[in-house]
Amino acid sequence: MTGHVKLATLLCVSFIACGSGAYAQSQVIGAPPEASNMKLVGSNDLQARSAYQPTIHHQGDRWIAYIGHHGGSDAIPDPVNPMTGKAEPNGTSIVDVTDPAHPKYLRHIPGQEGTYEAGGAQMVRVCDGKTLPKGDPNAVYMLRTFGGEAHEIWNVADPANPVLITRLGGLKDTHKNWWECETGIAFLVSGAPDWRTRRMTQIYDLSDPAHPVKIRDFGLPGQEPGSTGAVPTEVHGPISAGPQGNRVYFGYGTDKGGFLQIVDRDKLLNGPKEPTAENLRLPEISRMAMSAFNGAHTTFPMLKMPIAEFAKDKDGKSRDIVMIVDEEILNECLEPRQMVWFADVTIENRPMVISSYTVPEASGGFCERGGRFGSHSSNESMAPVFYKKMAFIAFFNAGVRALDIRDPYHPTEVGYFIPSITAATDKRCVTIDGKDRCKVAIQTNNVETDERGYIYIVDRANTGLHILELTGPARAVAGLP
Amino acid sequence: MPRSLSIAFAAAICAGIGVAGYQPARSDFDGWREIAWPFPRDGWPAGRAFRCATEACGGDVEVYVRPKIGFCNCDSGVADDDEVDRVADLDLISQRFVPLAPGEVIRIDEMAGRIREYDLQMADGSRHAAIGIAVSHRCDLLVAVAQGKASAPEVERAALEFLGTDAVRQWMTAAMNGS
Repeated sequence: MTGHVKLATLLCVSFIACGSGAYAQSQVIGAPPEASNMKLVGSNDLQARSAYQPTIHHQGDRWIAYIGHHGGSDAIPDPVNPMTGKAEPNGTSIVDVTDPAHPKYLRHIPGQEGTYEAGGAQMVRVCDGKTLPKGDPNAVYMLRTFGGEAHEIWNVADPANPVLITRLGGLKDTHKNWWECETGIAFLVSGAPDWRTRRMTQIYDLSDPAHPVKIRDFGLPGQEPGSTGAVPTEVHGPISAGPQGNRVYFGYGTDKGGFLQIVDRDKLLNGPKEPTAENLRLPEISRMAMSAFNGAHTTFPMLKMPIAEFAKDKDGKSRDIVMIVDEEILNECLEPRQMVWFADVTIENRPMVISSYTVPEASGGFCERGGRFGSHSSNESMAPVFYKKMAFIAFFNAGVRALDIRDPYHPTEVGYFIPSITAATDKRCVTIDGKDRCKVAIQTNNVETDERGYIYIVDRANTGLHILELTGPARAVAGLP
Repeated sequence: MPRSLSIAFAAAICAGIGVAGYQPARSDFDGWREIAWPFPRDGWPAGRAFRCATEACGGDVEVYVRPKIGFCNCDSGVADDDEVDRVADLDLISQRFVPLAPGEVIRIDEMAGRIREYDLQMADGSRHAAIGIAVSHRCDLLVAVAQGKASAPEVERAALEFLGTDAVRQWMTAAMNGS
């Protein structure tokens, strides 16, 4: 073997070693969590159900967490509810988190039969009856999906004994809704049977949850019934800036070919409603196309953000920012990295990406840990404690990441927390040469915050709920004592 | 050998190892030949493209086929014709296509899905017939689209005969199984 061939062989061996996970940091049961400037306050196993959306609601003198679940797994389609002793399809967990160190599981409301994305009740939003224009002032309303086939509204004034109020059914898929509590307007991600897309938006007036009033169907031209030709990618979820902001920010695509759509809320609600291409185009202000490599799972608006760097500029010292979070779909980095993008939408018809954030893969050997590595979602609370100061990103096997976003042109990670795995943590597999190869890793799926400054993360791989708080310099970013 | 060439040599060896299961085999089945993937990069890795210009194919027919890993509804699979409209890569050829009839169920090896005939309006105003196929395995899709100037049934017959050949089926199976 010549010297050059030896060198080539050594380099090749090195490449293969690096690529096959020589530095992987697989999680093991019993190992402590990995953390920086975040610490665990309390946890609950959520009956080992795969978790999606958490919503934390201040209800009287209590704090209640409502957590949506995916369907069960192939191994355990209907986990047993220890409170009833019965096997129940995954639905909604209701947990009293008034004392975050000792969360108390109150109730599981079963969801739709079916495993993974095909079952459960992934989404949940909550509004007080006294806030809704026509709600029962004594009621607290929880809007949830019921698998893909329906939306439901429950009265959870007594969170341990919810009562079903309303059901909107007959759909082919549902997903990440938005509900304006002050107006009752709800943007329900649905799959109307006659539309050409799996998911579009149905807009309802839910100001009186007992009597829903349909306003219109909305989607992209090409998705409407009767259209032909190419079908634009499906909606994932909207976030409304309410009547004051008069904008709705829709995210389309999940992990590919996504875009942000900025919509005039007033024209959307009050414009012509027949789902023609022209009427669907009317309320749109602009669209910002993303790379074909990325989608828009969450489009979180932060309007009129003062930018310190621009403080002395005569114009443009505050900016309208939308944080766009992609969703990683495939395990073990088998697709382009899904991450976080900040768009300056101050000039609405010329939105522009100004910065990005991802977890450095090498910081944890995340591509080899197992499961998904990449972003999924952000907190969506606009409570002052964190709004426009910090954002929390669920990053699957890299846990939750705390970002200082006060300068959205230069977002900076200031903390993270990766929970320990437990015996309940489910495996995640990839197919190699026709066979499954599986690993066990945390899969932080969603994150939400409350007005007190606690951070709630939930796990897609059945590890439950972890309640966190900031420590050290990260607390200072939020102005917490 | 210069150091830079050693590194290039090493990288080439490694690349060869990495794609060993995905070797593109040149094909020549009754007039079919593999051609370069003719479309710009999009969200999915490029697939394989083939052309047949003989009478056996009914004229000039092209077939484009690729896996879309992680794109399918894991439980329901390719449930309806709208799904074929959305995923079968017709839009790579033309944004303007109109289905000619309701689709039909199809099975390629162990993968079930749907096939549908379309009329394509090309950029130059001409009309082509096209066939869109989408089949699934667990959460993954395999899509194929065929186009030509012949009638839709002729294009369909030629495309299905080609996709049914052993070499193409073996490649499709390997591509869907992570090889």
